[in-house]
Amino acid sequence: MNTTITLSEDYRDCLQEVTNIAMGQAGDRLARLLDTFVVLSIPHIEILAPSDIAMAINAIDGSASVSGVCQGFIGGGIAGEAILLFNDTSFSDLSRLLKYDGELDHQAERELLMDTANVLLGAFLRGVAVQLDMSFSLGPPLVLGQHQRLDNLFDPKTVTWQQALVTEINYKLEGYNVNCDLLVIFTEEFIDLLCKKLDYLLL
Amino acid sequence: MTPTTPDFANELHWVMDILHNIDVGLVVVDLNMHIRLWNGFMQNHSAKAPEAVLNQNIFDIFPELPETWFRRKIETVAVLQTAAFTTWEQRPYLFHFKNYRPVTGSAKFMYQNCTMLPLTNAQGEVNHVCVIIYDVTEVAIHREQLQQANEQLQHINRTDGLTGLLNRKAWEQSLRQEFKRYQRYHRASSLIMLDIDHFKDINDTYGHPAGDEVIRRTAAALVSSLRDSDVAGRYGGEEFAVILVDTDATGAEIVAERLRTSVEASSVAYEEHVINYTISLGIAELTPKITDPTMWIDTADRGLYNAKRAGRNRSSIYYT
Repeated sequence: MNTTITLSEDYRDCLQEVTNIAMGQAGDRLARLLDTFVVLSIPHIEILAPSDIAMAINAIDGSASVSGVCQGFIGGGIAGEAILLFNDTSFSDLSRLLKYDGELDHQAERELLMDTANVLLGAFLRGVAVQLDMSFSLGPPLVLGQHQRLDNLFDPKTVTWQQALVTEINYKLEGYNVNCDLLVIFTEEFIDLLCKKLDYLLL
Repeated sequence: MTPTTPDFANELHWVMDILHNIDVGLVVVDLNMHIRLWNGFMQNHSAKAPEAVLNQNIFDIFPELPETWFRRKIETVAVLQTAAFTTWEQRPYLFHFKNYRPVTGSAKFMYQNCTMLPLTNAQGEVNHVCVIIYDVTEVAIHREQLQQANEQLQHINRTDGLTGLLNRKAWEQSLRQEFKRYQRYHRASSLIMLDIDHFKDINDTYGHPAGDEVIRRTAAALVSSLRDSDVAGRYGGEEFAVILVDTDATGAEIVAERLRTSVEASSVAYEEHVINYTISLGIAELTPKITDPTMWIDTADRGLYNAKRAGRNRSSIYYT
């Protein structure tokens, strides 16, 4: 039988704080790199089932204006995956932001997605890792939905876990039509270890 | 273990050996874009010895590197202190290395995935970036072959084998699209249904292979008298259908007559026979009275029926 994992108030607050600080640091670096102010939402932390996550990802399938990029990370006995969902993001704004010149064809759009994701995810994950005194190896980002259908990519029926700790953050870039949701997913097997790491900060 | 023990020297030796011989490319550049490390993989594939590249500007040695893009990437890695990635799907390669396998290599060049890692100094500053080059030619070729095979299958699935025109299923899909387009924009659109006259007699007199040849030649005449935007399909045995976008009934009649006279004037030589034949055509322009694609086909079919009844070898517009 599965037992439902719950996250104590203390851990939730602590993780929210870690996320806040990581985002603040990420935002600061991004501001320097991109010359723009990054507007961040308050992180939303929840324990979710695979089907809830599938629902969030499948939202990409229906709408042409949404794109997504995934990036896996692992280190210090903890592994997870970060998903960046772009909602109503303008590619021409992204290209202005990353100072790309040249025609915006399919390949260039793909590169923009990869690079934006790389910048946002990389900065954030590094911020989290530094606070927990860890370092993560990042896999290459993967653009969702270009070469395969999304239900092939993530089928909630085939995954081996029941619950995951999901942190959701919304990023907006001031002066640009760029709005994205970042989901960071730690599956149940890593939650204990993650809490132990948080203990060092709580003591 | 302290740095003075022989073990340390030994291990350093191993590490250097591994870096040199590992089957991925390793390049270290400083923030001025000078090459500071160049491993065996890079030496062997570029045919450039370390003496030729070390402390040189990377863009001088490799003019094919997209400079603005590469600088931007390195800057990102240094400022964010985090890795950056590029895959062969975005950029097939960073360094242009020729395919080196005469037997099993079918690509012209090496497809590469690339990771850029920040290297921190003792003060925790990033002054160097390590560029790792992975040879992913095999993966890329397989993916492309798969894509080609899929495209070919898709083409076969949509095409009529005898004529090369769209098959009925694919053509009807186009018809439905055109119908929707009309409902939204109300731009003129016409349909021609055409049929080879006395086709059964041709088959009975000259045999089925001759009949096939007549069908093929009709399809060829059809293709050569249409514009790029027109959509022709083989509707049934000896029946063809054409969607003429942005064309009213009068315009469609001109197309139909041009096609009819060209078929009438030509003949098909099959073995010792010279076969002369004609076609009949029915035309229907889309109007608000036509409420679905099937009704549009029916309307053009009525035109075709009238053309047949009036003596064949003619075209007839059916007005709704």
